[in-house]
Amino acid sequence: MLSRVVLSAAATAAPSLKNAAFLGPGVLQATRTFHTGQPHLAPVPPLPEYGGKVRYGLIPEEFFQFLYPKTGVTGPYVLGTGLILYALSKEIYVISAETFTAMSLIGIMVYGIKKYGPSVAEYADKLNEQKLAQLEEAKQASIQQIQNAIDMEKLQQALTQKRHYLFDVQREKETVAKCIADLKLLAKKAQAQPVM
Amino acid sequence: MNENLFTPFTTPTLLTLPAVVPIILFPTLLFPTSKHLVNNRLITIQQNLIQLILKQMMMIHNTKGRTWSLMLMSLIIFIATTNLLWLLPHSFTPTAQLSMNLAMAIPLWAGTVITGLRFKTKNSLAHFLPQGTPTFLIPMLVIIETISLFIQPVALAVRLTANITAGHLLMHLIGSAVLALLTINFFATSLTFVLLLLLTILEIAVALIQAYVFTLLVSLYLHDNT
Repeated sequence: MLSRVVLSAAATAAPSLKNAAFLGPGVLQATRTFHTGQPHLAPVPPLPEYGGKVRYGLIPEEFFQFLYPKTGVTGPYVLGTGLILYALSKEIYVISAETFTAMSLIGIMVYGIKKYGPSVAEYADKLNEQKLAQLEEAKQASIQQIQNAIDMEKLQQALTQKRHYLFDVQREKETVAKCIADLKLLAKKAQAQPVM
Repeated sequence: MNENLFTPFTTPTLLTLPAVVPIILFPTLLFPTSKHLVNNRLITIQQNLIQLILKQMMMIHNTKGRTWSLMLMSLIIFIATTNLLWLLPHSFTPTAQLSMNLAMAIPLWAGTVITGLRFKTKNSLAHFLPQGTPTFLIPMLVIIETISLFIQPVALAVRLTANITAGHLLMHLIGSAVLALLTINFFATSLTFVLLLLLTILEIAVALIQAYVFTLLVSLYLHDNT
């Protein structure tokens, strides 16, 4: 696939090489022998619908499960407290003016997310549902239209059948009338002859 | 640790290489694109917000003005995101640098003026004289209007820079005050901390509002000139 990229790049760089595009398929087939690995990630595997579970918004749940057999439930918390105190005492993390700005910002963010999170999520879901509902409506309308067209067609066919029936009756009447006319003519001729 | 108050405002270097370009490009990572119709919540909300802002901003323009929609939309989203990102500790805002804001304001303003002069020369020149002025005031007024026209880009840039820088500085100073008061008097500390909280809320609002104002003004200049 990189050979195609190289060819297109060369074509844009030097317009005289544009005819090299015709060499593309040949080069592709020739370089196929270099593709020795198994194709993976093609087609693209589907993404999971929900992400991994996280505790406190930062630490994945698997970490707590990982430490559970050895240190129980309090293990990760003791580790976290120890790390924070170590960083503070060794002045790896220095408390400065920015600490308080960070604290105030994080406090406000957590408060905002806790308070307005679910309603915003509901709003997003509603938007998606609206989109799907619109498409669903269009599909139903189109199905209804086609159904109506089918019914109309059937009605037309029934009408033509009836007309055919009518037409037959009409033809029978015509033939019967013709017969009667012929017979009358014959009768007249027959009557006329004995007189002569 | 900040040695002085100016450290947050210096352009960051990574091993003496200017690191500003990755920082300016960083907000693009926060707005994922998607080719699907039904997306996850983040993308849905972002697309909805962008649609809302687009409708609000571009309704007043005619067809010629609406060719600027992409420019104005990316402008407002860039300014809003960079302004909101500086609330994080130890971060750097490109929009707090005057050079950056001038670089944004001057070309956009010049674009609107040149568009107006090129396509509607009489109309745009007529803007120099408000209606109903007495005859003897006309020369003076034309000079004043010209000056006000040329000051527009400078005002745009300086407004944004000053607001963001001042807010940043204030947050810093109050944070230092809290730190200093921590060992002296705890009650004063908690009072000051409440002040800091309120200030943070204000800064969030300011960040968004400044973005809005910038873009709105550019769009107004555009409206005058199309």
